[in-house]
Amino acid sequence: MPEVTSEKHYEEKFEFPLWKLIKQRAEEKDISYLAASEKVLPEYLKTIRYRDEEFENAEIQKRAKELAELTERD
Amino acid sequence: MALEHIADRVLETDVLVMGGGIAGCCVAAKAAEHGLNVTLAEKSKTDRAGNAAMGTNYYVVGAKPREGLTALELVKQWTATLHQVPTKTGLPEMGRERLSDLNILYEIWDKGLWAVEELEKLGVPMKWPDGEYRYVKDQLRTGKFDLTLSILWTNVKPIMAAAVKKRGVNVLDRTMVVDLLNSNGKVVGATAVNTRTGQFIVIKAKAVVIATGLFSRIYNGDMPQTWNYKFHYHWNPATVSGDGYAAAYRVGAELANMNMTGHGYIVDELAMGAGLLGRTDGVPGKILTWRGEEVTMTNARTSISKLAEMEQKGRTPLYMSGEDLPDDYHKRVEVALRDMRLASLKLAEDRGFNPRTHRYEISPIAPFTFYLAPGVNIDRDYKSLLDGVYTVGDCAAGLHGAYMAAPCGFILGENLPSITKNAGEPVIDEAQVESQKQAVLAPMAVKDGTEPMELECAIRYICDRYVTMFKSEGKLREGLRRLGSLRREFLPRLMAKNPHYLMRCLEVRNLMDLAEVHINACLERKETRGNYIRLDYPEMDRTWDNMITIQRLENGKPVVEKRLAPDLEPEYAKEEK
Repeated sequence: MPEVTSEKHYEEKFEFPLWKLIKQRAEEKDISYLAASEKVLPEYLKTIRYRDEEFENAEIQKRAKELAELTERD
Repeated sequence: MALEHIADRVLETDVLVMGGGIAGCCVAAKAAEHGLNVTLAEKSKTDRAGNAAMGTNYYVVGAKPREGLTALELVKQWTATLHQVPTKTGLPEMGRERLSDLNILYEIWDKGLWAVEELEKLGVPMKWPDGEYRYVKDQLRTGKFDLTLSILWTNVKPIMAAAVKKRGVNVLDRTMVVDLLNSNGKVVGATAVNTRTGQFIVIKAKAVVIATGLFSRIYNGDMPQTWNYKFHYHWNPATVSGDGYAAAYRVGAELANMNMTGHGYIVDELAMGAGLLGRTDGVPGKILTWRGEEVTMTNARTSISKLAEMEQKGRTPLYMSGEDLPDDYHKRVEVALRDMRLASLKLAEDRGFNPRTHRYEISPIAPFTFYLAPGVNIDRDYKSLLDGVYTVGDCAAGLHGAYMAAPCGFILGENLPSITKNAGEPVIDEAQVESQKQAVLAPMAVKDGTEPMELECAIRYICDRYVTMFKSEGKLREGLRRLGSLRREFLPRLMAKNPHYLMRCLEVRNLMDLAEVHINACLERKETRGNYIRLDYPEMDRTWDNMITIQRLENGKPVVEKRLAPDLEPEYAKEEK
């Protein structure tokens, strides 16, 4: 696990994928970031498993189990 | 003197709505739909006014009878949530307690789905771009029902503002309603000031609906909620100065539960998106110490005492971490940041912040906006103690949040035709208008006086220092004494160099009134319950079960009393069988 306060992690360039798309669109069309975000968002949402019940339930249950163990330990 | 000679402008309307947030727009749109002449006054601009405009992306829909989730069940869950009293399971133990009239809550939950339909009629997006509603898992811990909608509301306010205008509402932007006008025991309108021109306005009305926001600015401007992040001066001009609370109180209305605050972590600018995971995606992020050890913070008392212990042991600050989450959830955080505050993404990039390796700072704990319980005390028709004054949304006791603001706004809008029909013509007391005008415009004549922000910061210092999470008689009384001193010495010296500053001065006057009300309510409630903590009364006092504090002005003097919150009527409660 990286050190939270380590400067080197701030030196590594990271671009949020959605923000990158928004910026590209805004620059290409010479429109505001907000207007660009409205155009790119619907497609971006399709790349996220919002409607995958099995995945969603598995993640929630995994987290609930972790929290229960942590509460028990505390 | 004739009214027209006192005021720069005189308007007459059936309904005056104070505040252009979600509640104000809903009530105005519905009343106008029924053919009423409606005027909506908003001190900023309705296009981006109100709490929801500063970011919200979830909406609790209320009862879902087809799926077996009744309004009664929700009322029980809600009252449990309010108190946040810890138990072994982390769930509240005082589930049957109440802090407001449960019958109002019942009606709101019962009509929740109807309100969703009404919002959609105004053009508000409740579905996702794929054309479906997106319910979040089990947010109110009902165990089996999903009743929270994830919503994409980036542009909700421009949409609502346009819808309101389309229905014929007379929208007065940059117009701050300052005080209510009463005559023969009835409120008959209000005085207002244009925050750009300084124009002094009188608005005669058959009914006044207060739909303004909270008064969070008596505490510091961070919003210590992990799942949300609404107001911070470098992000948004904060408007939450309790204008409706104060105007109603000054004219004799009752305020309820003014001792109640929530609590939460003060969050880093970027923690908003990660915090939203728990609220809108059912997966709370991990809370870690700076050493990377995970800790739980399940409720008020345990988290406060635990935080104090961790401070002593050098384990703070705390961070929220999404490092172990699948990529899907990082993308969800991005969507949340885009939806609530697009600039956050740019800020994160400029900082070189990588959520896959960096953590979001979320400490320490502090009191926050007076969410859920306080407000103008209302009856089941949303009427205050005063004839002619109605209250909805964050200004109404127990009806906070967009998902309560919308139903109660629509319900009241439905009832306003019959209310105004029997109201009679408003008769204005010109001497009262003259007196209000002098008080309102006084700061414009002051030279070399006190800047409103100076006084506001002093009020905040007092509340942060002498009220805060851990209250005691001595600190509260000292806070009250200091506030009194500020009021005497500095309130008359408030200086407005232009009409915008005049608005700030009037906001500070409201904050001063409400800080006093807040402290007096805290002095009255001598017990510890949930996240309401009196260090000098550390035990729960069962004589306060289901009791609330009520405050009003009587002959100019503040009165505080303890009163039973109304229980569900038998016809609602029998549904349980």
